[in-house]
Amino acid sequence: MIFSKEKITLEFTIEKCDKCDKEVKRKFVDGDSLFKKLSKCSSCEGVMIIDKIFSETIEK
Amino acid sequence: MVDFTNFNFEEFMGMGEDSNPLLMLIWILPIILFVFYGQRIQLMVASGEIKKQIKKLEEYQTESKKELLDYIKKTIHPKDDQTKKVERFFDYFNIYPVDMDPNGLVSKVRHVVRSREDYSREHVKSLSENPDEIQLTKVQTLLEIATSLRLIHKIITHLFLTAKKQNNYPLILPLQMMLPFIMEEAEAMKDAISAFKKGQPVGDGIGPMVVGKLMLNTKKEKIAFQTVYSETEFENRKLLLLKAEGPGSTVGRPGDAIEKIFSKTKLDLIIMIDASLKMEGEDSATTAQGFGAAIGGIGTERYQIEEIATKNNIPVLSIVIKQSVKEAITLMTKEIANKADDVRAQLYEMIKDNTKSGQTILIIGVGNTVGVPQ
Repeated sequence: MIFSKEKITLEFTIEKCDKCDKEVKRKFVDGDSLFKKLSKCSSCEGVMIIDKIFSETIEK
Repeated sequence: MVDFTNFNFEEFMGMGEDSNPLLMLIWILPIILFVFYGQRIQLMVASGEIKKQIKKLEEYQTESKKELLDYIKKTIHPKDDQTKKVERFFDYFNIYPVDMDPNGLVSKVRHVVRSREDYSREHVKSLSENPDEIQLTKVQTLLEIATSLRLIHKIITHLFLTAKKQNNYPLILPLQMMLPFIMEEAEAMKDAISAFKKGQPVGDGIGPMVVGKLMLNTKKEKIAFQTVYSETEFENRKLLLLKAEGPGSTVGRPGDAIEKIFSKTKLDLIIMIDASLKMEGEDSATTAQGFGAAIGGIGTERYQIEEIATKNNIPVLSIVIKQSVKEAITLMTKEIANKADDVRAQLYEMIKDNTKSGQTILIIGVGNTVGVPQ
């Protein structure tokens, strides 16, 4: 279509601390899997867990 | 105002004394052309459009096949080139049982479907010496996608060529009407390949995602083929959690699992969480609650669940998360993923509203659990 904008789909991973609920959004990388335990939370003693993996579509 | 009283028909039609026969031909010829060849012209225009779509379907089919073969090579490292063996899988078909006598039909259909699943799983397994179970489920799903795209291409081409051969415009009409819907599904399947290869959760996995999170830190038990179960408590109620075994690409066998669970435990309520197809105009990722078993597929699993629920008078409630076909089989959208917490809250509210302390509730996360462990 001449007037339709090009759409790009980006993949994201949301890390969430199991104690303080701090969230970090970053790009998805291979090996990410839901509920996977990651590093320690930078704000508290909790552990960052992958809470969500999703796509976002952006119009160019 | 237009004055119609002195309207000259002959002049209007270009047939007056001073009319030019050439000008007359300009409007008479198209009428004759359309009267006698209208359908042929429509057939040509429609054919052009359909041909373009068939070309796209062919590309999807080739691409899906290539992606499957690449994935097999990279992940399960087959002993030698398995292209021919894999190609043979593409033409597998199902012959469904005779339905003149519907008695016992469900178990016959289940037998055919499961035989196919078991057969293709064993053959995919035979491609490698040390197959990884999770990778195998992904290969099986990619194989299903490639097979479906091939079948769609074959059927559409057949219908198109038949209409062309007979020069039959009415025959091409239903194809022209259905093609946009078919293309939507085919495009969704093509786009789904990436998510399954990467092991990412798809929109259909929202049910398993909600239940999977509840299952974390509980003792998991394999209750049926590719299906896991665990127990937890909520406000003095026993919650039995059931989902397909993630993070592989499978929907599990919730029907068999319920039969086993019910043989050991009396159930007071069944709650099913599933993705559901949204209607045009409906917003994506909206939720709705309802009655009855929310589970798709060919119907055999739903039959098993309904049988147990009906015989034992167990109410079945459902929460569905609406989405399009494409959203259901491609990487979960942000809107759907963000609904998980809301659905969990709705689930707890539903439990409190419909059960008393001491009762047992079975919660099933229905859908493909790719990328969703527990």
